[in-house]
Amino acid sequence: MGDIKPVYLEEKLKEIEESGRLDYRSKTLPTWCPGCGYFSIVEAVAASLCELNVPNENAVVVSGIGCSSRFPFFVNTYGMHTLHGRALPVATGVKTANDALTVVVVGGDGDGFAIGGGHVPHAARRNVDITYLLFDNGIYGLTKGQTSPTSAIGFRTPTSPYENPDRPLNPLLMVLSYGASWVGQAYAGRPDHLHKMITQAMAHRGFSYLHILSPCVTFDKTHRTYSNLGMQVRDLPADHEPTDRAAAMREAMDDALPALGLYFREERPTLGDALDGLVEKAGGELPGKPAAKPARKAARR
Amino acid sequence: MATDIQISIIGSAGDGTIAAGDILRNAFAGMGYKVISFDVYPPEIRGFGKCIARMRITTEQAYSLKHKSDVMVSLDDSHAIPHAGELRDCGAMIYEQGSIVRLPEGGHMSAHVGPGQLPYPLPIRELSEKSTGANRSRNIVVLGFIAGLFNLPAEGFRKAIGKKFRSKAAAAEASEAAFKAGLDYAAKTFKLDDVVFGPPVSSVVAGSTVEMINGNAAIVRGALDAGIDTFFGYPITPATSIMERLASEMPKRGGRLLQTEDEISAISAVVGAGFTGARAATSTSGPGLSLMAEMLGMGVIGEVPSVVFVSQRGGPSTGMPTKTEQSDLHMAVYGGHGDAPRIVIAPTNVDGCYRCGGKAFEMAEAYQTPVIVLIDLYLSNRYETVVFPARPPFEADMNRKPGKQAAAAPYKRYALTADHVSPRSVPGEKGGMHVVTGLEHNELGRPNDSAELHTAMSRKRHEKLKAALRHPDFTHFKRFGDEGPVDVGLVAWGSTFGECLEAMLKARGEGIRCAAMKVVMLSPFPTHGVSAFLADCKEVLVPELNYEGQFANLLQANVARQVTRLARVPGEPMKVEEILEEIRRLAGRGKSAQKAA
Ligand SMILES: Cc1ncc(C[n+]2csc(CCOP(=O)(O)OP(=O)(O)O)c2C)c(N)n1
Ligand code: SF4
Ligand SMILES: [Mg+2]
Repeated sequence: MGDIKPVYLEEKLKEIEESGRLDYRSKTLPTWCPGCGYFSIVEAVAASLCELNVPNENAVVVSGIGCSSRFPFFVNTYGMHTLHGRALPVATGVKTANDALTVVVVGGDGDGFAIGGGHVPHAARRNVDITYLLFDNGIYGLTKGQTSPTSAIGFRTPTSPYENPDRPLNPLLMVLSYGASWVGQAYAGRPDHLHKMITQAMAHRGFSYLHILSPCVTFDKTHRTYSNLGMQVRDLPADHEPTDRAAAMREAMDDALPALGLYFREERPTLGDALDGLVEKAGGELPGKPAAKPARKAARR
Repeated sequence: MATDIQISIIGSAGDGTIAAGDILRNAFAGMGYKVISFDVYPPEIRGFGKCIARMRITTEQAYSLKHKSDVMVSLDDSHAIPHAGELRDCGAMIYEQGSIVRLPEGGHMSAHVGPGQLPYPLPIRELSEKSTGANRSRNIVVLGFIAGLFNLPAEGFRKAIGKKFRSKAAAAEASEAAFKAGLDYAAKTFKLDDVVFGPPVSSVVAGSTVEMINGNAAIVRGALDAGIDTFFGYPITPATSIMERLASEMPKRGGRLLQTEDEISAISAVVGAGFTGARAATSTSGPGLSLMAEMLGMGVIGEVPSVVFVSQRGGPSTGMPTKTEQSDLHMAVYGGHGDAPRIVIAPTNVDGCYRCGGKAFEMAEAYQTPVIVLIDLYLSNRYETVVFPARPPFEADMNRKPGKQAAAAPYKRYALTADHVSPRSVPGEKGGMHVVTGLEHNELGRPNDSAELHTAMSRKRHEKLKAALRHPDFTHFKRFGDEGPVDVGLVAWGSTFGECLEAMLKARGEGIRCAAMKVVMLSPFPTHGVSAFLADCKEVLVPELNYEGQFANLLQANVARQVTRLARVPGEPMKVEEILEEIRRLAGRGKSAQKAA
């Protein structure tokens, strides 16, 4: 845990003040357990929003339900703390209604790959221009430590007291095959790298998926701990070509030693582009898109 | 002379039955008659299931179909024979005169035309083959025959046929020939003097337009006229055509529509879009509404405007997808967990679908809540002639904006106000930043579950809806028929109100003091208006299409009053006769009562 240091530096804070923007961290203190990996994620997201010059009021952070999903309360932007598993479709609605907003979705492994698993392929294939930060602690934190779809086989929890009989999903591999246009992996224990990856993911035009390995210090003392993860994680090979989806999938398959970095990236039209295309095909007029005004309003009547 | 004629065309799926009905009602509407029409489809897409196209053509807009038709056309005797009794005395039965040799005993319509009915056997197949070289245009031959038989202007028919086959030149040509064959044949036959079309009456005010459309199309028109920005949906009978129509219309106006992966996503995206200030909607039927329950609750507690168009079908579960029913009222009004009050409005006719379709967006914004527009398959597919006003009767923006309040930090998104509605900011507005959450929260929107706050916020969410009972330019409920004290008062909702109105008018014709009230706003319930009406009624009758009487339950939850329930689940509209019989019985004029007298 020793290598967690705040990336939100004093100079940055000054810069924010001078630019007239607000601190991206809200005054609400996170309700997470001391040592939880999520702390470094909120710092990194705030730093990335700052770095990318996103006006606070133009950012919308959408989450589901879980420890991780408490996130929107801890940043100084618009936010939606929705239902367990439903952050992605809600965010799709936000972005479809107003392209000018920067939309970030956050949530846990249960939220995204158990109850909400049906939504991930569709957000990815449509290339909704949002950033999805998946906080994977391999456990249900909020409900006090039950098995999740990314828990290891043999893992013992209150709902699998003998052992977890199910093999874990491989979210990276899934998202790559769903057609996500930006896929990366980071680790809460490496905050500088995490921050860089979040900035890149948010800068990407299209659906960006960042898988963030994060320990639940309270309910997992045996598997995804800082000491275990610290030994397991590696960097993607220096010669990895992020435009090669097949190569990215090969790397993703090695989930025993998770590799951090940018797996895949491609430029392709977003859902917004496609819907604008339909308007043109129908002979309609594209509404003017003044920055962060409800974009479709102009087209009424 | 006032015209009131009902025509039914019965055939199998491959006969072009519905297509013929479509042309026919368009032709009548084009001539200036009022039309009300409701077709019956088989549940299977392919095959030879029974189709019935039915329409009632009148000078003044009728409220329901009649029990008996004046003209019946059989394109397939095996389907039409069981319905032969639905043709009135002296009505015309038009059917294929062709060979009966290969038909089973009693398989030909000729054996079933009743003693008082007028048989019109035609060589339908032969006329089609002679005029077009194929038997595919039998349905159009019949239309020509009807035009000739009733001396209707052929021009009106030709226009409607042209419209139907706009993009298919060959079919249009064949249809023209088939139509003429039928028309010419009619000249050779005797005319029917019992069924006469008087001249249509024009009731159009300058600037307005008249169109014959069905309930789903009217909802679409209302949504478009109210300026819908985004739509998210998943196909399901009988709501699909709402989405399909919007899919072609919205992009023309710069709007956006997305077919989502399921109904949960659809309502989720609507709530997301509503959060940004857009006018957003989805459409579904009962199974989809079940899936949406959790997110609707989120819309309630988060106070996010959202609109859901629901067309009911037979339930529960997959139930009877192609049959009508009014059995989702409880779910629409009460569905989901927690105290989750929402607005539910249920139009009673196609014109009402247009109004509710647009007003729903106003109400969602004005009271910051989900609004459900509840119709059913019968109303979705029922055609009526509707007069559209020159200017859409909908407000473009009913939002209460925070203005300076947002600047006065900290902005209280859920401020407790006198009328319980809080000023709302949307993303992009400086100073208005807040988090919408499904957790109970304080005025700032921060999670808080204290007893005081949960009580205050629950009160806010319930009380703010009361203002919807006075929402401007909207018919929440309406009384028809006799004024003052009545022997029998009907209270009804949704599509069934048309049959109730017809039955009430007939009862008055029989000298029974009778009135009927339609209730359009189901939640919040217009208790005052309804109880004032009930106080006038000696007996109260509540007809509806579900097993227990869900509306009667709702009514009795709000007004302490004994009522007689007429709850039926036939999968089709209630029969006017059945309601009338019940009115007679309650008025002491039932068959038994008459006999005794
Ligand atoms: C429909 C529904 N089912 C179950 C729950 C209970 N629940 C809340 S969070 C959660 C799991 C959280 O795990 P995860 O998504 O991995 O987030 P974490 O707490 O680990 O960050 C569950 C089961 C709920 N809120 N809603
Ligand atoms: S329970 Fe686990 S995941 Fe939740 S805040 Fe505590 S450490 Fe983090
Ligand atoms: Mg988790």
